[in-house]
Amino acid sequence: MRVAPRDRCRVLTVVLLLASALTGGSVACRREADPSNNIRVSWALDPSPPVSGAPMVVTLTLRDSAQRPVVGAHLRLEGVMSHPGMAPVSAMLMERGDGRYDAQMQFTMAGDWTLLVTGELPGGAPLKKQIDIAGVRAAS
Amino acid sequence: MNILTLPIVGTLARWRYVRPALQLVLLFAAAAVVLHGLFGPQLGPRNLATVLTSIHWRGLLIIAIAAAGNLFCTACPMVLARDGARHILHPKLRWPRWLRGKWLGMALLVLVLFSYELFDLWSHPRATAWLVLGYFGLAILVDVLFTGASFCKHLCPIGQFNFMASTMAPTELRVSDLNTCRTCKTSDCIKGRYSTTEPKRLERRGCELGLFLPLKVGNLDCTMCLDCVHACPHDNIALETRVPGAELLETGRRSGIGRLLRRIDVATLALVFTFAAFLNAFAMTSPAYVVEQRVAEMIGVRSEAPALALVFLLGLVVLPGLLLGAAAVLTWAFDRARAHSLQATFVRYAYALVPVGFGMWLAHYGFHLFTGVFAVVPVVQSALVDAFGQPLLGQPLWGWVGLQPGTVFPIQLGCVMLGAAGSIGLVQAISRREYPAAPNVASAPWLVLVALLLTTAAWILAQPMEMRAVSFIG
Repeated sequence: MRVAPRDRCRVLTVVLLLASALTGGSVACRREADPSNNIRVSWALDPSPPVSGAPMVVTLTLRDSAQRPVVGAHLRLEGVMSHPGMAPVSAMLMERGDGRYDAQMQFTMAGDWTLLVTGELPGGAPLKKQIDIAGVRAAS
Repeated sequence: MNILTLPIVGTLARWRYVRPALQLVLLFAAAAVVLHGLFGPQLGPRNLATVLTSIHWRGLLIIAIAAAGNLFCTACPMVLARDGARHILHPKLRWPRWLRGKWLGMALLVLVLFSYELFDLWSHPRATAWLVLGYFGLAILVDVLFTGASFCKHLCPIGQFNFMASTMAPTELRVSDLNTCRTCKTSDCIKGRYSTTEPKRLERRGCELGLFLPLKVGNLDCTMCLDCVHACPHDNIALETRVPGAELLETGRRSGIGRLLRRIDVATLALVFTFAAFLNAFAMTSPAYVVEQRVAEMIGVRSEAPALALVFLLGLVVLPGLLLGAAAVLTWAFDRARAHSLQATFVRYAYALVPVGFGMWLAHYGFHLFTGVFAVVPVVQSALVDAFGQPLLGQPLWGWVGLQPGTVFPIQLGCVMLGAAGSIGLVQAISRREYPAAPNVASAPWLVLVALLLTTAAWILAQPMEMRAVSFIG
């Protein structure tokens, strides 16, 4: 069976279109207004910098655009390593009043981590924030 | 055993379109890497660009070589892209003689490894996507200008890595019966097979890397494209099983390569391949950052590039030079007959280190594959949610990763120990060949070197992993 050059081009086009459908469509979907933008999240770690293999407490403080504390949110915290393929760590954030939420978690290795905060705000709007944690120390 | 005569596998390998079919699979993967890298979430563990390249592509590439052969060159999508481009632009030039050899490809290989560490490519999907696009662009540009497989043979850094690694592969393409070649009048395996009717048209291309099958030895410069298998009118090419690494003992002239012992560039590539395995694995451990920061303090810089460059210089030039230089001086000094010069001794034994280097690559990239093999599942699930707003394959299972790192450690140790055993075997064989009067004395310094490399490998693999992507000093 011989495949003409024109047919080969068609096959390639189909391949590229399939890949575009799989991955490219995400661009359009993410252009919606993000209610997270109105929420300011500040964070603190104890100990800081954290040590791999040792428990630490992550405290988040949520304020709205008028600097009022955000209460009644349901939030989840997930820690992912900068390198793909490493097991993530996760925890539920407990509300401590005055817009403060905290969770205990443990990084499993040294290096740079990213904390992903996801959940729902009191009105049901979703919240998504990303916090980069550089230089988690190796346990000595 | 000739793999091509086996049922199913042999039939599949002989199928004319097996290569384009494999290339289409990798082209699809490359398209997904580029599109998701450019437009998807810019978080390394959540993007196909970084997940597929850092975990699956590297791991499967080295495991495929160990288990079967240079399959990722076979399935290289860039060759498919350049074949398409050559329908429009026909190359006219020959690759310049002064640029031949492995120096340029080797320099690019080091540059890729250096860039990976400096720019933390594992955590930057968009940069990874641009690197893939740039790679495709360069391959197409070179091969629409220059004839044959100029990019593969002289430039491609991954190709040079694969060529050296595939000296450890358990299979090799070679002629079945040399007598058939002696009576062959057409040499289609290298020239290609043309139609018998006028105007003459190329029906099956011959080896684009200039390997004349009757004189081909080993896997160096062989992309396992199977063009020779399809071009040979006598069905005289076999994919034979063999002892991995044994080709490094062959001293005769090889088609497209010449004599291995006279190729300083290939011997240097063997050393870069070996020591880069250690450097690349070391770079992901906690002590690497201490070393890098000490080097930065020593030379008084606060940016990573010069410190990392110095670490690379130490790891790939100074250290190999000192270690091999010392071993070569001792062997040369022991040999009262002075059968070989110091440089010749150095080159002869340089190839013996390839197996331990291969074992280290296998241990390192195999670690990432085994511990992260399922990480692609939630990333694809998430990409589908982003693309269609529906969890077509379910909600992302972010907990899916792979084996626990601790469980992989014995496998890693096994890989480097097997590699070291291979290097010991090659050292002994080289000594028996070159210094038959006192092979054990000649071997001694090199066996100490292999033991040192094995110990270093075990130490690196036992270190706590530390991957940094945003921080360097302080």
